[in-house]
Parts: sequence; C-alpha cells; structure tokens
Amino acid sequence: MERRNFLTMGVVAAAAVLVPGSLQAVNFRETKPKAWEAEKSSEAIKEMFGEEVFSGPDKLTAVTDKIKMTAPKLAENGGSIPIRLRSDLDIETIAFFQDANPRAATVVFTVPEGQKVDYSFRVKMRQTAYVTVVAKTKDGKLHTLNKEIDVSIGGCGG
Amino acid sequence: MAKKAMKIKAKEKDGVVKVKAMFKSLMADKEEAEKKNISVEYIAQIVGKANDKVVFEASTSGFMSEDPLMKFEFTGAKKGDSLEFELTMHDGKKVTGKKKIK
Repeated sequence: MERRNFLTMGVVAAAAVLVPGSLQAVNFRETKPKAWEAEKSSEAIKEMFGEEVFSGPDKLTAVTDKIKMTAPKLAENGGSIPIRLRSDLDIETIAFFQDANPRAATVVFTVPEGQKVDYSFRVKMRQTAYVTVVAKTKDGKLHTLNKEIDVSIGGCGG
Repeated sequence: MAKKAMKIKAKEKDGVVKVKAMFKSLMADKEEAEKKNISVEYIAQIVGKANDKVVFEASTSGFMSEDPLMKFEFTGAKKGDSLEFELTMHDGKKVTGKKKIK
C-alpha cells in the first residue's frame, strides 16, 4: 500500500516538473529572487544568467551589434525614459539593467516561441548611468550591449 | 480595483498584430514609497495571451516608469481574436484584462 502511494506521488511530481517550461510562463521574480535584489548591474546579471559578462561600465564581454537599442542620449525626464529593443536573433530571454537605481534589474522579457523581438517600454532612472541589455539566445549564448544615458532630472521620486 | 487597470490597443495587419498597452500602476518600489509616503505598489509580471498561447511576457520591477506603457508586435492571431493580459502585482494579486484585436 505504501509503495503504491509512493509511486503515484513520483508520477505526479514528475508531471508537475515537466508541464511548465514549454507552456507556462516563467516568473523571473520567483525563480531568481536574488537577481532582483542586486544593487549593481554586474551582480544582477550574474545572478540572472549565471555568467559574468559585465564587470564594469567599460568591461563588457560578448558585445553584439545585432541587438538594437533605441534610447535617448540625454533624458530630460528621468521618470520616463523611452527604450526600444529590437533584434533579429533567436532570443529566449532579454533583460534590461541600469545602475542608477537602488536595484539594478528593471525588466526581463521572455520571448515566446517564434515571436519577434521588438519591445518598447519606459523606465525610471534616478541619475546619469549606464544601462545594460543582456540577451540569451536559444543556443545558450549571451549577447550584451550598453549605453550611457544622461539624466537631467532624476526620476524615482528624486 | 476601482480604476481601470489597463488600456489595450491591438491592431492586426498582414498577420502581424501591433499592440500598445498601458497598465495602471504607480510602480513605486521601497525607496520611492517611503519618500512619497505611499504604499509599495508595482507590477511584478505581465503575461499576454492570444488563442491560449503566450505572446508576451515580462517580469518587471519598480523601476519601470509610472503607468508602464508597452509596445510590441506578435504573429499568430487575427482580427476578432481576443488578447488577454494577466498582471501579477507585487503582493501576488492577479489582474486580468481583455481586448479584441481589430
């Protein structure tokens, strides 16, 4: 009797593990809570992607020109900075980090199967800082790029 | 929630659906809430679905701007289909919204 119970439990557990991933959305706030608490982009990226590609504003590895980021060079209003990310790469996850705020992670997009990457959104930045975009393609490679954005009036309640 | 939680615009052309969506939220993280003396409020995750397929997904933090506006495109839906958004707030509350694709 006990053994039968044990087996059923095993099957249920295996099914529960298998089902998410393909259909179910990944909530990065739950799967990588540490990444959202990190103060610096470098730490947040390391937590999020498990690789060190960013150790300082000018020390970036795996830089790509295949991802296009449209962002203002000078942002007049730090409370709302428009950012657009575009790419033709086969991207699985694309994340946006900045060094201006108390925590670096801002937004992580999971690109659904077969969809194009073209996202526009707005972020808050408290001060002039580097922003970093890290994308993971389906083959597991990381692609990065960064840019400095000048903020004249800080957002984030500042 | 008394006020409308989101505004969605979706238009299909040549198989590509262009979406503009605005989500009502103060997007206040810990520090900002303290400064402005309001409670912490932000959207933690946004999931967009059309025809039971996930077409958009983002995990967000309080550093998105207030009332985050998202623009994106996707394929695989046509006119008349409905686009559904599910927001997960910072405290785990879920808010959903629906709109027909024009």
